[in-house]
Amino acid sequence: MSAVAAKPAAGSAMNPAAMAVGIVLLILMIGVAYILSPGIGLMALIGVIIGGTLIGFGVHFVPVGGAPAAMGQAPGIATGVAMLAAGAGLAGLFGGAWAAEQGLVVAVVTGGVGGGLMMAITCMMVNFVYIFGMGIPAASGKVANDPITGDSQAEYKSQGTEGHGLPFISFIGGVIGGVISGAGGTLIYIELLDLYKETLPSVMNVTAAQVMPIAVAAAGMFAVGLFLVNAVLTAYNITGTIEGPHDPKFKRWPRAIVASAVASALCGLVAILIVMPM
Amino acid sequence: MSVKVEVIEGGVPHNKIMIAGLLGTLVCLYLTYLNVLTSTEMFSFFGGLAVIIALIWGSHTIKVLCSYGIGTGVPSAGMIAFGSGVIAMLFATRFNVLAPIVALVLAAIIGIILGYLSNNVLNMKIPAMVQSLTEMAVVGALSLMGFAALISGGFTFAGLTTGTISMFGMSLSTHQISFLGGGLVAVAFLLGAIAIQHPFNACLGPGWKQDRMLMLTAECGFLSMIVAAVMSFALISVGSALISLIIAIIGWFYTYNQYIVMSKRDAASWLDSKPIPDVEGH
Repeated sequence: MSAVAAKPAAGSAMNPAAMAVGIVLLILMIGVAYILSPGIGLMALIGVIIGGTLIGFGVHFVPVGGAPAAMGQAPGIATGVAMLAAGAGLAGLFGGAWAAEQGLVVAVVTGGVGGGLMMAITCMMVNFVYIFGMGIPAASGKVANDPITGDSQAEYKSQGTEGHGLPFISFIGGVIGGVISGAGGTLIYIELLDLYKETLPSVMNVTAAQVMPIAVAAAGMFAVGLFLVNAVLTAYNITGTIEGPHDPKFKRWPRAIVASAVASALCGLVAILIVMPM
Repeated sequence: MSVKVEVIEGGVPHNKIMIAGLLGTLVCLYLTYLNVLTSTEMFSFFGGLAVIIALIWGSHTIKVLCSYGIGTGVPSAGMIAFGSGVIAMLFATRFNVLAPIVALVLAAIIGIILGYLSNNVLNMKIPAMVQSLTEMAVVGALSLMGFAALISGGFTFAGLTTGTISMFGMSLSTHQISFLGGGLVAVAFLLGAIAIQHPFNACLGPGWKQDRMLMLTAECGFLSMIVAAVMSFALISVGSALISLIIAIIGWFYTYNQYIVMSKRDAASWLDSKPIPDVEGH
């Protein structure tokens, strides 16, 4: 194969043996958390795993175009998964963190709204630039008709491209992805914050009020770290670019669910170990 | 099986850079422990040097990994390095003097599992994946620990979470003014993540030269060290912070000049453009 024809080789095939190993690892880590701290630690780990899985699943909806999109040769937002997911997730995380005092449900919903709002604004401005700046219509290259509006795509697609701009389905996908991954990031933050507020005072021998800055910063940093790990693993799963929920690559999500769950369990376990007495 | 898109030979082999980087980072991190032994904060600048050595190693690892077209962009590699590194580093700080060793081992375990997940569960099948992700998690953890030592003078959990504030001449202990409680860790995170991914992103292509890329890494590292040294004025004594700042500025000037010299060497031709052309008189 010549270097020009070389493409990332990650196909859509599943690897059942590796997935089974992953699930065994996942159960093993939950077991370790159960032995160390059957109550609050285990609850936090389960929350972290659910949050990480939501991030991994949510990123699949986001229309990531990469470098070809920047030249108007492929649909999507013209940057990489890591940047987009970090933007949507951190916007959601900040939104959710403001509402942290109002309980789990309100905070997670606020985080989802924050992430979705950020993606909606991004998608709209991207289409503004494509349509009024570059003068190209929005057209998908992967489907003949838009699955939601039913609009035909082929007439608007330029020759030699895979489509361009953000068609309606990609826009909707971006907002859904922002909502899901923003909610996931906030869930991780809230669970870890509750754990640290409960356990750090006795670990550090200080009062609950004094420990707040440490608890907030540590939970925030762990949430950011977990978010980036999950987002990059998902980027590896879709090999860089995806058009949205109608893209054939979207069907690869079961692999990302397993990978995100194991990675979140691993990182979440370390985040819980930090407050275990030694 | 993925095909290696970019085969560029020459330069120091990767294993040599890896071993030198690992040893250099650990030695520099432990040299900051002289702060505790001599009860000063003068040796904090070794933390910054540890960051730069680790970044040089890490950017070459990114080169090894991203030579296989992974399709996700070079910045994602820097993000996963520091995302997994920060988790290992924060936990390792609880082990006091053993912290760098624990960070190394724990980050390696996290990296191996993430590499297995990407290669087997996500079916990437890239030969260098497991080793690269392992190295990058270690680089992320150790460079964050270096930033911690540079900014706060130590790498223990107590040192990172406790600071002092002087009020009306009294010295009070507080958790708000500290590396972790003040959120400085977030700035250190992005300073490192950008410095590790930029050099290969900027230098890749057919004209890639190892020494030019590594010099750019050192330049980015010193630039980050300048910012971190400015932040360290808040947490360590003015004299110690000044030492770090002066070393960072001198290092940055030297590496920047060297990078420009190497860029001129590798360029086909070179034209010094004037800032704004003078159009009057036409």
